Amino acid sequence: MTPQAIRTALLLDGGRDDDPTLALVHQALAETLAAGGWHVDGWLLRDEPIAWCAGCFGCWVKTPGVCVHTDAGREVAARVARSDLLVYLTPVTFGGYSSELKKALDHVIPILLPDLKKSGSDTRHPQRYRRVHDLLGVGTVPAGEADGAEAHTFRRLVGRNALNVCPTRWAAGVVESGSGTREVRTAVAALLGQIGVSSPPLAMPVALEVTP
Amino acid sequence: MRKPDSALLLVGSPKPGASSSASLGGYLQERLAAHGVASETIAVARALKTEEGARALLTAVAATDLVVLSFPLYVDSLPAPVVRAFELIADARAKNAPGARPAAPVPDAPAKPGFVAICQCGFPEAEHDLVALEICANFARAAGFEWAGGLAMGGGGLIGGQPLGARGGLLRSVTRALDLSATELADGRPVPAEAARLMSKPAFPAFAYRFIANRGWRTELKNKGATTPLDARPYV
Repeated sequence: MTPQAIRTALLLDGGRDDDPTLALVHQALAETLAAGGWHVDGWLLRDEPIAWCAGCFGCWVKTPGVCVHTDAGREVAARVARSDLLVYLTPVTFGGYSSELKKALDHVIPILLPDLKKSGSDTRHPQRYRRVHDLLGVGTVPAGEADGAEAHTFRRLVGRNALNVCPTRWAAGVVESGSGTREVRTAVAALLGQIGVSSPPLAMPVALEVTP
Repeated sequence: MRKPDSALLLVGSPKPGASSSASLGGYLQERLAAHGVASETIAVARALKTEEGARALLTAVAATDLVVLSFPLYVDSLPAPVVRAFELIADARAKNAPGARPAAPVPDAPAKPGFVAICQCGFPEAEHDLVALEICANFARAAGFEWAGGLAMGGGGLIGGQPLGARGGLLRSVTRALDLSATELADGRPVPAEAARLMSKPAFPAFAYRFIANRGWRTELKNKGATTPLDARPYV
């Protein structure tokens, strides 16, 4: 494989330290992607002191494309801009992302332009960069809640994010806490398969929602 | 939902100064006061910067009859400090009331405190806010509140952190929505559908909003003395 062909997957891990299932998901994703020739940029966010985005819009009108603050939050846009696959890992938190993942995602707006443009029936911000990312959202939910309201909201949220990131492909799924290594690996293979990274397995013990 | 004697306004904007979220929440707070509902205000991000502030937030939430959350849309969802507050509040309420997710209503159980959310975004369409409000509803139910409804507003840039009354008739639908909501909430009822409709009604056409906003960004770029163009690509 030539250096130009190496693709980068950024794993933004918003897990807390009491979520062994999410740790299994992270491991399965990293190993599967690495085995497929991907460069895996895994980022455990709970270890990062990232200040909350203050909503100052300095990254749009003062230092375009760069957060005005100099902590690790500035790295979020840089690493997203250089990735081909963006993976959000999180305990599903009332249907959304954990505060650890969200503190990073709030810093992605420098990859967008401030302009408002019509896109279908909605208004959106155009992309700052031409590079296209695929998007995968994987969450953990309590046992028995893979089809619950919060899992449903989570899939809708990843879908909304996909409209902003403009991926070629995106997928979202949840894994129930307490799932074993085998179940997690099956689920991860299925999700990656849905965005063209590997073939989906025959059995899918988790709830999935995927765009064509 | 219990008829409130007190309300707590949680301002979800992480901005240190004036914010449109504070303007919206403050207006509803004034209208609730006119109905005899006293309230206090806590800026979530500022409170969570210290352990003492976080404790004060949890104490205030535990003591109130009605929580009003007003926040800006951040990447299709809630700002990180508000999510953190949700996590802390849910944990605290679960410790104080094990089994906070009852499968069925308990007869003769005391009425729950209410939780209402106002979300505004910088896009002209209020529909962008709906998933964030769905997250608020999920939180309210999980944490043992009575979901009192959500109000979604597009075109938040029209407020510009000013008091709503200072914007003249431009925000007439918004103030009417909040007036209607205050009347119902003060009586222990959820925000009415008419209020939600008025809140999401655009003040003027989306194409005009986009035109004005896009000119505004370029003016801001000049005012801030930026040395790179608006569409710079620093990470190529």
